[in-house]
Amino acid sequence: MDKFKIFLIPFISVVFGILVLMLAVFAINSIPIFQREGLAIYTENVWIASETPEEERYGILAAIYGTLYTSLIAVLIVLPISIGFSIFVVDFVPERLKEAFIIPTDIMAGMPTILFGIWGIFLLAPFLSGIADFLYNTCSFIPLFSYYNPTGFSYLTAGVLLAIMVLPFASSLIREAYRAIPVVYREAAYSLGLTRFEVAKILLGYIKPAILAATLLAFGRAVGETVAVSLVIGNAFNINPSLFAPGYTISSLIANQFGNAFVYEYMPSALFSAGLALFAIGLVVNIVGLLVLRRWTYA
Amino acid sequence: MLRILKDYLFVVFVIASAAAAIIPLFHILFSVFYNGIPVLAKYGMEFLTDTLPPPNKAGGGIFPAIYGSLTMILLSSLLGIPLAVFAGVFIAEYPNNPLSRAARVVLMIMLEFPTILVGLFVMAIVVIPMGTFSAIAGAMALTIVMLPYVATYTEQAIRSVPRHYKEAGYALGLKKFRVVFSITLKMAKKGFMTGLLIGVAKVSGETAPLIFTAGNVWRSTGALNEPAGAIPLWIYYLVQQPYANYHEIAWGAAVVLLTIFLAIFLPGRLMVRS
Repeated sequence: MDKFKIFLIPFISVVFGILVLMLAVFAINSIPIFQREGLAIYTENVWIASETPEEERYGILAAIYGTLYTSLIAVLIVLPISIGFSIFVVDFVPERLKEAFIIPTDIMAGMPTILFGIWGIFLLAPFLSGIADFLYNTCSFIPLFSYYNPTGFSYLTAGVLLAIMVLPFASSLIREAYRAIPVVYREAAYSLGLTRFEVAKILLGYIKPAILAATLLAFGRAVGETVAVSLVIGNAFNINPSLFAPGYTISSLIANQFGNAFVYEYMPSALFSAGLALFAIGLVVNIVGLLVLRRWTYA
Repeated sequence: MLRILKDYLFVVFVIASAAAAIIPLFHILFSVFYNGIPVLAKYGMEFLTDTLPPPNKAGGGIFPAIYGSLTMILLSSLLGIPLAVFAGVFIAEYPNNPLSRAARVVLMIMLEFPTILVGLFVMAIVVIPMGTFSAIAGAMALTIVMLPYVATYTEQAIRSVPRHYKEAGYALGLKKFRVVFSITLKMAKKGFMTGLLIGVAKVSGETAPLIFTAGNVWRSTGALNEPAGAIPLWIYYLVQQPYANYHEIAWGAAVVLLTIFLAIFLPGRLMVRS
């Protein structure tokens, strides 16, 4: 083995070390709560913090529900828009102007998330609260709109904000895939006399795996997002079907509760186990997404 | 007829979704400047050099946050860039090594990883043993966030250099170390710099990994082993306060943060010709 390789090995090992150590830290710190409550930590919706350890009881089901609910809202909004937007940029915008559409979305993909947060809390939440009031007054018989006295801090606000945050990312994956389709397919389709809609439908068929991967990776990002969401979700232990109800997500639960967790015997462990759940959800979604993407790129 | 109608609807859908994608993005950028610039004008230069005022008192600034952000960005760059570059070089130079194959997957996972978990992790291994939040802990969390960006860009940049340049270097009798750092990395400078800038820009705006590592303070002595503020952290806490002047300061801080981010990110992004 050459010297150069030996010199580099410690650095590459650190990369591994971090991930392994991270998993270990979360697993070890979760043990006390698992010993005490078992899997109930994931299947109950309770949050009793108490000075006397015997009375403490934690269950993060509401946060798991909120995480999946808000991320689902985000993906459902992002998917059609990013497909439409990709078609727009590739097929409708002249070559010289394409960069003018791509650079802003790239900026937004890397932008500090707290800026989405401040926009969400001061502008988006009040705006959606008006809409929520209207929908509650007119169609509260539909469970989705049934939450009484909506404040604007809700699953919907979090979901919409997440959608805006992950859209640049999802649309860049779909756009690059759509753009990479060989021109001959496009020309062949047009030469049959098909309309733009029919051509796009055929071409989208080719990049189905990329769309699936983009969906999964966008979902994975939405799951892990913390600060912006914690400012607009309302932070309440709630399991409610209504879009306008306040809730919690796993990451906002951690951000909100960890500050004072060490006063209590079991709360730190409960929050580490919440982190472990987030770890697991993120890992599964991202790995499946990356595998789909990879299989497609090499095919 | 139906086909033409469908096509027409399709065009409407495409244009509508482009609008739906672009408008919120511009609205966010616009409202940060629209709400923040008047604040900067009103507070003057003191905004950058003063500390946080009491609630509902005029004046004040965000100096401790700027100081904290800059020290932690610098510190995490010093730690993270060498680590990430060497890791990237390994993956690029030994692509078929099992370590490299696995590292590529690990880096991709880290790229998508919830950053709040990084913060929690560093808290468990640094903050608890030290007994206090600190700028060092914050910088370590940022290092972990930065690592996958810089490493993957370095790897791709090195792999884009044609082989015969390296072979020419070896033919001159250069050591592998010299070939990589004097020839390959120099030729791949653009991609490499892009990675650095994007990694640092990303880190400059992170909030979640700092909450439980840097801890946040409104006044600081500047010591690295004590809790530190950061611009994103300040915004996060200020918007949750009920005071109007704190909301103002938060908007002002948002403009400062956005400016720092764009100043680092844009040169990096514009170097890439897609």
